[in-house]
Amino acid sequence: MLIRSETDFRQLDKSILFAMVLLVGIGLLAIYSAISAYNTPAALKSNFAKQFIWFVIGIGIMSTVMLLPMKYFHKHAYFFYGISLLLLVAVLFVGGGKGVHRWFQFGALKFQPSEVAKIATILTFSRFISSEGCDLRNYRHMAIAVAIVFVPGALIFKQPDLGTALVIFALVPPMMFWAGLSPFIIFVMISPVLTFISSFNYYTFLIAILLICAVLYFTRRPVRTVIFVLTLNVMAGAFTPVIWNRLHDYQRTRVLTFVGLQEDPQGTGYQVNQSKVAIGSGGFFGKGWQEGSQTQLRFLPEQHTDFVFSVVGEEFGFFGVMVVLGLFFMLLIRALQIAAQTKSKFSSLVVIGCVTTIAFHVVINTGMTVGIAPVTGIPLPFLSYGGSALWTNMVLVGLILNVGMRRFEYL
Amino acid sequence: MVLNERSKFLIYSGFLLLVFSALVIRFAYVQLIQGEEYQEASDRNRVREIVIDPPRGLIYDRFGRLLVNNQPAYSVYVVPAELKNRPEVVELLASTLRLTPAEINARIKRNSLSPVQPVKIERQISFEALSFIKEHTLDLPGVFCGVESRREYPTMIRAPHLFGYLGEITESELSGSKSAGYRQGDLVGKKGIEKRYEEFLQGKKGFRYAQVDALGREVGELAEFPSKPPVPGRNLYLSLDASLQEAIEIAMTGRRGGAAVLNCKNGEVLALVSEPSYDPALFAKPISNAAWSELINNPAHPLYDRMVQSLYAPGSTYKLVLALAGLQTGLIDPRERVFCPGYFKFGRRTFKCHRKGGHGSVDLSRAIEASCDVYFYRMGLKVGLENWSAYSRKFGFGQRSNIDLIGENAGLVPDEDYFDQRYGKNRWTKGQLVNLSIGQGDLLVTPLQMACLAMAIANNGHTFHPRLSYLIENPVTDEKMHDPPDSLKIEGINVEHYERVKQAMVLAVSGPFGTAHSAIVRGVTTAGKTGTAQNPHGDDHAWFIGYAPYEDPQVAWCVFVENGGHGGAAAAPIARLIVSLLLSQKKLIVPTSSGAAD
Repeated sequence: MLIRSETDFRQLDKSILFAMVLLVGIGLLAIYSAISAYNTPAALKSNFAKQFIWFVIGIGIMSTVMLLPMKYFHKHAYFFYGISLLLLVAVLFVGGGKGVHRWFQFGALKFQPSEVAKIATILTFSRFISSEGCDLRNYRHMAIAVAIVFVPGALIFKQPDLGTALVIFALVPPMMFWAGLSPFIIFVMISPVLTFISSFNYYTFLIAILLICAVLYFTRRPVRTVIFVLTLNVMAGAFTPVIWNRLHDYQRTRVLTFVGLQEDPQGTGYQVNQSKVAIGSGGFFGKGWQEGSQTQLRFLPEQHTDFVFSVVGEEFGFFGVMVVLGLFFMLLIRALQIAAQTKSKFSSLVVIGCVTTIAFHVVINTGMTVGIAPVTGIPLPFLSYGGSALWTNMVLVGLILNVGMRRFEYL
Repeated sequence: MVLNERSKFLIYSGFLLLVFSALVIRFAYVQLIQGEEYQEASDRNRVREIVIDPPRGLIYDRFGRLLVNNQPAYSVYVVPAELKNRPEVVELLASTLRLTPAEINARIKRNSLSPVQPVKIERQISFEALSFIKEHTLDLPGVFCGVESRREYPTMIRAPHLFGYLGEITESELSGSKSAGYRQGDLVGKKGIEKRYEEFLQGKKGFRYAQVDALGREVGELAEFPSKPPVPGRNLYLSLDASLQEAIEIAMTGRRGGAAVLNCKNGEVLALVSEPSYDPALFAKPISNAAWSELINNPAHPLYDRMVQSLYAPGSTYKLVLALAGLQTGLIDPRERVFCPGYFKFGRRTFKCHRKGGHGSVDLSRAIEASCDVYFYRMGLKVGLENWSAYSRKFGFGQRSNIDLIGENAGLVPDEDYFDQRYGKNRWTKGQLVNLSIGQGDLLVTPLQMACLAMAIANNGHTFHPRLSYLIENPVTDEKMHDPPDSLKIEGINVEHYERVKQAMVLAVSGPFGTAHSAIVRGVTTAGKTGTAQNPHGDDHAWFIGYAPYEDPQVAWCVFVENGGHGGAAAAPIARLIVSLLLSQKKLIVPTSSGAAD
């Protein structure tokens, strides 16, 4: 199926590649440090080696993605989407996990269909809203576009995997914005979510509603629109308890702990607290690699996976944090530049989807380690231990680089 | 509004910049501004303070003979976090320690402060249990043994009432005002000297700092936290003469009662024996239920210190108080003779003399020598209750002697108010006074108070609060602290009255009519007074108080044998033992003019 195309390797964005390799390298250091606290040297080697091998395999996958023409992804987007929906439904019935249904187990290998669904949804959503004749101002088209994201999102939410579901939902506003939808409509779409989050507390709810009113006033919208938006938001606020009741206990705990309404020193509160202690005690230059007492003495669970950034914060300090965030920022901005320069609307939207996915992971994950984002089980791209997440992120980078090399091509 | 690619790029990257800036600010705040706070929190996490118990002060006798020693013992600790969800470990540990898993879990729950802080599960484990735990460290994660010292008693001396014992600090002791420096699970003095001198014996805890992991396991020492060595407890030298104590204990074995021997010169306690007693080592380790119930259910009450806690009627020994009261008030004329027909009729009651045939005509001296009851019945009525009570109090009866032991009893000196309260106003007769005159009736004293009386008479009214502690020594600085017993003067009794009574006491031992011939020691003039106290619990209690040598009093004593019968027969021989032992060891210095004993 490999189709030779006009790949221009001189156009390969080396800074994105550089950032990614460096991030994986930092991740390997942090994982080594975190795992060495846990395991006997033999197991340590095998875990560290595994991540390294996954990265090497990932380079192969990424290269393949880079070399395939975007036409190929455009053509097969709906097919991938269909497959991933089937997998998402199947995993609900036969999937494994601790009381949840998130992955298929093949011997020692775990496969999370939600990882594939992320990519498939980006491609499908991009293809639909970039298609000829699609007009997002048309309610029917809008409904289809939202449904494309909503169906896999809802299935993932059902697993339940709140974090990944949020990643999928988060694709909608930026991609629609990039597709040319008026920022006001995006505001109308996002505002109920803000209202929902703010309605755990009467005061924040009031502030949210006032903000929405201010936007409506200053943009001088017709009365009909104003009434519609306000009704939508008040309903969102009213529905909070309903949705709240459908959440799992651990999800409620996470939300409450995050909002600060519940003390949970043994559960997620303990994790966040220990993570803050680790990062805070790192100071400016950190305690040095494998010298972090929080990490080495195992005060923090899941430190090589979801909380790997606290290892960076403790052992490499604020300096290390700046380097990692800087590399991510560089990678994202370069990707946005590619999206802005790309002639093909589909390719451009795919890049925005990839950027959004990576950015969402980075912000929520790092924010979580210092207590300004909820603990939702979202790993840090390229740094967290785990093969399938690494591959997914490398596919996203592969897509960005692919588009970058062909940015002057029309599809 | 249609945006071109460039403005969309600017808006999106601007949005990202905003979000990333927020993150950077947050990290800067946590790492740079709050950094120090979190550094401290991180240190608290990883650093565990480990207490090093100081060696408890040792206890010696006055000649430096070691009486109470320390010996290493092993305790078992567990880290609760590591035992959680590991019933097999708890079960193995339980079978090793001969406990049930439920007991172990209960102890963890009771003593646990935090899941990572080790909890003491059992102290003084057997050598078998210790070696089993050491060999099975891998099967017993979170279980380890620690060294602790336990008391050991290297001499034959039992004296459990005197030494007291150690026990785990209680909740209320911990919350008390003197609780500074104590922690849950600490051993503190519970009785006797161990309790009274706790503040000196205990020492100061030392601390060691170890790095621990999240499961509370020690993973190394911390160079930046220097350890503080413990300060050993002060050694205590008792005024006790171990060989004397031992000899009296042996002599008293199998009997109930005891002896208190005081140094007349300064009030130091040379021996304080209470029998029956028990092996103090019983309490050095956690006492078994069987041993404990045997102790508390024993009808002879071995837990009771008969010398300072038990109260008895002193019998004829108390005639000395009446004699002195009568002489000083002038109500007794020492030359006055009283005829003793062997009984005394008072009102409708007849009070017997202990000698059936009577003593014939007796004066004060003869009455003391032969212990004539009739003489004192009459004198008691003459002196009156008010004087009798007042002089009793002068000699410290009805009050604690202030010996440095815990739980001393004050006794009871009846007076008019007491009888009014007890029997009702005008509902009691002078018959009470007749009984009190010979140390019977409602009067209650401790044997130690009687020894103090002997000391006071021997010293012509100079007396002391008896004291067991002789010297407190700091083993590190060798600094010695000697606090002599408080000296007291019994006011208002003239020396000539003492002399008269003392001469009669010499006769009581060695005179032709004396009741205490069995106390005679060749070469020493001994003064004494026997007592044979009737009591509702069976045979008479035997008393003998006295001092020696008469010319230069150096020791005073009270010997008491519960239900021993006649004081001269049961108690006086013990006094002879005391005097002859001290004499043979050259601890009594006999004046050259002495020796007229026989």
